[in-house]
Amino acid sequence: MKVRFWGVRGSVPVPGRHTNRYGGNTSCVEVRPRGDWPIIIDAGTGIRRLGKSMMESAFGDGGGTAHVLISHTHWDHIQGLPFFSPFYQEGNHVHVFARQRHDTHLQAVFASQTEDPYFPVPLSSLKAEIEFHELVEGAHFELGRARVTCTRLNHPWIAMAYRVDADGGSMVYCSDTAPFSDVLLEHEFISTPPQVGGVLDPAIAAKLASMRAGLVAMCQGVDLLIYDTQFTPDEYRARPHWGHSTPIDAIQVAREAGIKTLCLYHHAPSRSDEQQDLILRETQDLCRAAGDPFEVIAAYEGLEVVLGDDG
Amino acid sequence: MRLHVWGVRGSIPAPGPETNRYGGNTSCVAIQTAAGELIIIDMGTGLLGLGNSLLPGDFGKGKGHATILLSHAHWDHIQGLGFFVPVFIPGNHFTLFGHAKSSSMLEGILEGQMNPNFSPLYTLRNLGATFDVRAVIPGEPFEASGVRITGRPNPHGSTTALAFRVEEGDRSFVYASDVGYEDGGPSPEMLELYRGASVLLHDCTYTPEHQEKRRNRGFSSYVDAADAATRAAVGHLVMFHYDQDYADADVDALRDACRAELDARGGAGIGLTAAAEGLELEI
Repeated sequence: MKVRFWGVRGSVPVPGRHTNRYGGNTSCVEVRPRGDWPIIIDAGTGIRRLGKSMMESAFGDGGGTAHVLISHTHWDHIQGLPFFSPFYQEGNHVHVFARQRHDTHLQAVFASQTEDPYFPVPLSSLKAEIEFHELVEGAHFELGRARVTCTRLNHPWIAMAYRVDADGGSMVYCSDTAPFSDVLLEHEFISTPPQVGGVLDPAIAAKLASMRAGLVAMCQGVDLLIYDTQFTPDEYRARPHWGHSTPIDAIQVAREAGIKTLCLYHHAPSRSDEQQDLILRETQDLCRAAGDPFEVIAAYEGLEVVLGDDG
Repeated sequence: MRLHVWGVRGSIPAPGPETNRYGGNTSCVAIQTAAGELIIIDMGTGLLGLGNSLLPGDFGKGKGHATILLSHAHWDHIQGLGFFVPVFIPGNHFTLFGHAKSSSMLEGILEGQMNPNFSPLYTLRNLGATFDVRAVIPGEPFEASGVRITGRPNPHGSTTALAFRVEEGDRSFVYASDVGYEDGGPSPEMLELYRGASVLLHDCTYTPEHQEKRRNRGFSSYVDAADAATRAAVGHLVMFHYDQDYADADVDALRDACRAELDARGGAGIGLTAAAEGLELEI
């Protein structure tokens, strides 16, 4: 299968010369098992160009089926959806998967994204067949020839990580998440930064440890681990409650799970290409010095990674 | 007054080398009055750059205040608010004027984008800055930031978008983005709002060919912009809100075509600028 990055940025799109190389579009990754329909993970602004490219294939005539896995519904992960061209072509089928809510149906959340006065085209008027699938963590299902599993992450309002296996290859998309050490992020709004490195209530510490164990188990042996590394360690210490990790956190999960390639992802909006180069180089140096067996790369728009026997 | 342009794009931010010159950020401009007051018009992603530029001054110390004029609440006009650094600094204050049946409904619309399904901010009340939100009464002038402002709704697809006229002394600036006129162009009320403006910043999303195919979306072509500018006898026209698929070269062509259109309509004396991120223009 092929994994292609269409948007690698976190929080908000950042156009400009300083982001030309890594790209300024928000989160969107295309996973394409050989000869099969695309599985799209997250629908940030990057999905606009992906959708246009899909219209060159069967989707242009309304004969396409796409699966969209949403990590969570924060803007930077769904804001491209109203600009996804296959939605506007009758005959296409789009299946949207995201975590089940405790308070409302998924379809209502997505419908409110485009209702008046926020967007001129309501969900109900899109021409494609759109079906929403609510997931609970631990769910596993098949999409064409691909097998998908998911587990929850430590992020405000809760995000999901996904694993996709196909063609003898495997990948995990793990964004957005805070490390599992300083604060439990769920539905409550946390206004002041909790102490980093402090002592946690044992019940919370146990919940975080179990969440992390679930992630490490899901990542076991994958060819490619895409990980939220929005923060530097200093940025994390100032904002542990924002729900993002550092490259150090990603390295630790990568080591324990025995993965093959670690991909830095969900770059901070303020990060210039030069700063991102530096973060990549420092992370690679760290892993080389420690003798880690995995490779470290950083996601950029247009990057394509081939996994398994799709050569 | 001085105009400062921070975001020129319509619909959705369009990052990439092909938009480097005009910029890929969504709609946001600022007016600095002669008295030094700040008026922000629309809150697309261009608002991020404006926010960072304000931090060395009063807004960095929690002593800033500004007027925000909101044309309408489509995402590309509000999506910068949660990333506008001055709103996180307690003490800053914003008075926001927009289009709704009541002030509380307008506040509810802003709350809608902050709700926890979509944003980790949950509510406007978690921002450090304070907001005074007011619904504009169409056609009724009000005073804000020491200048006279009038808002009137233009047709915009299935909805409307406010155009604003800002007047200070003998200078006037009109912001008219996101407008798809009915046949015949601007209504008499709108032409009155635009009349004789020192600078008219106008929706210029499309070529006439593209506009014809997407008429229901409620945007202008350069022909509409040139028509409005000549009929209202404005001093200078600023093109704005380019389609997300237009590369810099496309916008260059749009500008040249708009110049020719102005000349053909007897507007040879009207100055023309295609808005680009970073543009500053003395009004």
